[in-house]
Amino acid sequence: MTWKDLLGERVPTALGREIDTYENQIALKRLGKIDDKVFAETRLRRGAYGQRYDNGQRNDGTGVKPLPFPSNGQTKGPDTIWDAPGMQRIKIPFGGLTTAQMDTLADLAEEYSDGVCHITTRQDVQLHYVHIDDTPSLMRRLAAVGITTREACGNTVRNVTACPIAGVCRDETFDVTPYALASMRFLLGHPDAQDFGRKFKVAFSGCRDHACGLVNMHDFGAIAVTRTTDGVEQRGFEVYIGGGLGAVPHEAKPFESFMSEEEILPTLQAISRVFARLGEKRNRARARVKFLVAQLGVNEFRRLVREERDSLAADERWTAYLNELPRYGEQALKTGRPLEDAGSSAYQTWSRTNVYRQRQPGYAVATVSLPLGDLSSGQLRGLADVARRFVGDTVRATVEQNIVLRWVRESDLPALHSELEALGLARPGAATIADITACPGTDTCKLGIASSRGLAAELERQLAKQIDALEPAVRELRIKISGCFNSCGQHHISDLGFYGVSRHVGGHVVPHFQVVLGGKWVENGGAYGLAIGAIPAKKIPDVVRRITGRFVEERRGSESFYDFTIRIGKRALREMLEDLTTVPPHEVDTAYYSDWGDPREFGIGDMGIGECAGEVVSLTEFDLAGAESQVFEAQLQLEEGDFGHADTLAYGAMLQAAKGLIKTEFVDISDDPDQIVSEFRTRFFDSKVFFDRFAGGKFAQYLFRRHARSDPSDDASATRRLIEEAQLFLEATHACQARLAGQLPAAPPPTSALPPTERPS
Amino acid sequence: MNVVSSAPDLANLQRIAIKVFVSADSTITARDVIPVFHRWIQTGAVNGLPIDVANYSHLPTGPCVLLVGHEGHYVLDRTEGRLGVQYNRKQPLEGSLADRLLSVTRHVVRAARLLEADASFSTPVRFLGNEVEIIAQDRLLAPNSDETLVELRPALDPLLTRWSGNTDWTVSRKSDPRAPFRVAAVTKATDTLENVEARLFESNNY
Repeated sequence: MTWKDLLGERVPTALGREIDTYENQIALKRLGKIDDKVFAETRLRRGAYGQRYDNGQRNDGTGVKPLPFPSNGQTKGPDTIWDAPGMQRIKIPFGGLTTAQMDTLADLAEEYSDGVCHITTRQDVQLHYVHIDDTPSLMRRLAAVGITTREACGNTVRNVTACPIAGVCRDETFDVTPYALASMRFLLGHPDAQDFGRKFKVAFSGCRDHACGLVNMHDFGAIAVTRTTDGVEQRGFEVYIGGGLGAVPHEAKPFESFMSEEEILPTLQAISRVFARLGEKRNRARARVKFLVAQLGVNEFRRLVREERDSLAADERWTAYLNELPRYGEQALKTGRPLEDAGSSAYQTWSRTNVYRQRQPGYAVATVSLPLGDLSSGQLRGLADVARRFVGDTVRATVEQNIVLRWVRESDLPALHSELEALGLARPGAATIADITACPGTDTCKLGIASSRGLAAELERQLAKQIDALEPAVRELRIKISGCFNSCGQHHISDLGFYGVSRHVGGHVVPHFQVVLGGKWVENGGAYGLAIGAIPAKKIPDVVRRITGRFVEERRGSESFYDFTIRIGKRALREMLEDLTTVPPHEVDTAYYSDWGDPREFGIGDMGIGECAGEVVSLTEFDLAGAESQVFEAQLQLEEGDFGHADTLAYGAMLQAAKGLIKTEFVDISDDPDQIVSEFRTRFFDSKVFFDRFAGGKFAQYLFRRHARSDPSDDASATRRLIEEAQLFLEATHACQARLAGQLPAAPPPTSALPPTERPS
Repeated sequence: MNVVSSAPDLANLQRIAIKVFVSADSTITARDVIPVFHRWIQTGAVNGLPIDVANYSHLPTGPCVLLVGHEGHYVLDRTEGRLGVQYNRKQPLEGSLADRLLSVTRHVVRAARLLEADASFSTPVRFLGNEVEIIAQDRLLAPNSDETLVELRPALDPLLTRWSGNTDWTVSRKSDPRAPFRVAAVTKATDTLENVEARLFESNNY
């Protein structure tokens, strides 16, 4: 008996056929009949990801050691060992889950994963430590409850996100849920959305002001609006295009102020065709829509899309779902009734932050605040039961890694709280500074540099203890943390953002976080912050205390945190953190040399450094410090609106960092930019010494591109991007320097052919 | 609810987990065990290929800290609020169901004994020698039903006898049909895990 046999017709035919094909591809790959890259994209398009250490290497705290998986050289992608555990991403459109789906996810976590379900910042669910051989059964069991993992990853349309309180929100223009659902169904597997160079992300928001939909950071973002024509109200969307976070974030550009609801799907199709035709395919680092929009200009992009739209053959699916809209809507399980009982003090604390009154009288939304987005199988199964009793059949995952129960009768709230408490799911402080978003970071992500989850857990622990004592203006702030610059933790759009970097200190590598300020969570992620400096990971709680403390002390009236940081300015903010940048020597305090929640020594610091090398390293470090100052000064000039000067400084920072690196081989390098770039290209780029194991030579291209341009830019967005690029170039230089000094490993070959070490028990 | 049922097929069951419990007069925390699990990776203290340590100490129930392994995971576990150590087998084992149950049990008892002997804890941890849980993390081959328990007993009973040296065990199944098949076994005779370990690692003839 197999799951395929047992589930039979419960698996929809089309989904079953797709999974059969996927299973055949696994078999063919095992026979060596599918190319590594092709198979990698195949599994990625079904949400089956690689995970940290799947290259067969791990730093155990004493050095990088091989992990001898028994795979006999079998791989599931380039440098990805077959038997290494992976991550399964499960697409949950707009975060909407039924109770039956929750039960199944709980089962799958127990049987194939580690007993934990993780909610992501895109309303997905992720299971970690999954063996690829288990993925076909896992997918069939999901399909049996109406979930597909198709296009959960790869160069596809990713999960379509939407406000988790759509339909019950007091401020929304209208419920965007059916539009998100229709977009997902229309684009899933659509032939015009299969040939992208990179992923494509879509979001719907019910209003402009709140953060729920985060339209500003999406490739295609739509905000619900209406207009009245000849006395008739018409639904439509204010559409934004070309947004995205990642290493170099772009704010979305206005595409159309009113796009009628009938035009949403054909426009998405037209954009898909333009993106597939003109988007970058070879250079992944510049393949998102944001780069195409930046390259063409939004006006030309719009013209091309409209031209494409006009040439499309009509498709009845564009509008068929609109006929169902009048009948769309969730049914409340119980008749609404106001709250009569004040409840326990624990309930009152919880309700202050975790309860939102719906626009429908007598009903509320209750937020189940999940630490680090995690809940155990038992908790998820218990939550499904609670949902059945209190709200009916559905819940929604949120981009803040929580779950909301909608349509709770207000009079039931104390009882609901009690039941959540019994499950360990009544954590107060939802949507506060203690409810931190974090990407997986070094826990499981191959690209993680520092432990975003470790830091988030520590900050949550410290902040939760004092949450009631915090000033309301501080309590409402958001902290978001990424393990690297790629911004999966959305650090750019946070009040206090952090992303992981490393620094080379006295022969050791020390985990640090860049402090990102100036971001806006509200207004759909309305502004992106910039890094003001790297602080040792162990000092980040002090950063939070100092900055929030100063905000409380110096706040003017009802000034927002964003306005406060702008008024104070980055120079002053950086100055107040300056002393925190100091790392005591290893022999004085080893705590700085390991990450939060992980006792391993960070990196490998046991390699001796000769006097000569030490001197050269000192020169290099001097240049790197100078480069850091220049890039920070560039931010200040950007803030003051002197874009040309900011551009020149960012460029200068890259030159100085490159020069520092060149000094490890050629001390007499001049200050001539042409010579610096030429020497850098020969010694570090052509030789691939500078290459990142995942990003290749991407960061070096930032320097080359800017060097090829003689005049500084006077455009705010372009300058801002250059500063981001300069910061990334500096990080890559730090990493390269550490590799040269022997503190970080060079990209090693896979070791999958090594024999297993099973011993008899 | 989407419970699917099949007849048990324990002859092919591989996803077996065994849990032993921390005694009421001792405790162990994530802070204690995380460095120990990292050390086990460095020193190869446990069988198989250990990969990494996963910290879920922020969850009030369920797994707390995992030593993730290729063949199986060692887990400091708090399911149903009871603290213990569990070994979740992931990769197939050779032999009959009885052989596989013995092998998984040996893995978890050896791990628990290593924790009992670890000098890094401020106060020593002790595990119960008279209670064990057997979990089948495979709803296809081991649905949570009385039928499954009946099929398990011929392999389980000799293991329990070997564990304690007697046959005086109370065996009960946790009944939620959606939860994995989970059997609690308790004997009145108290014993140390050290003695249990000695009996389990005697020759395979029983």
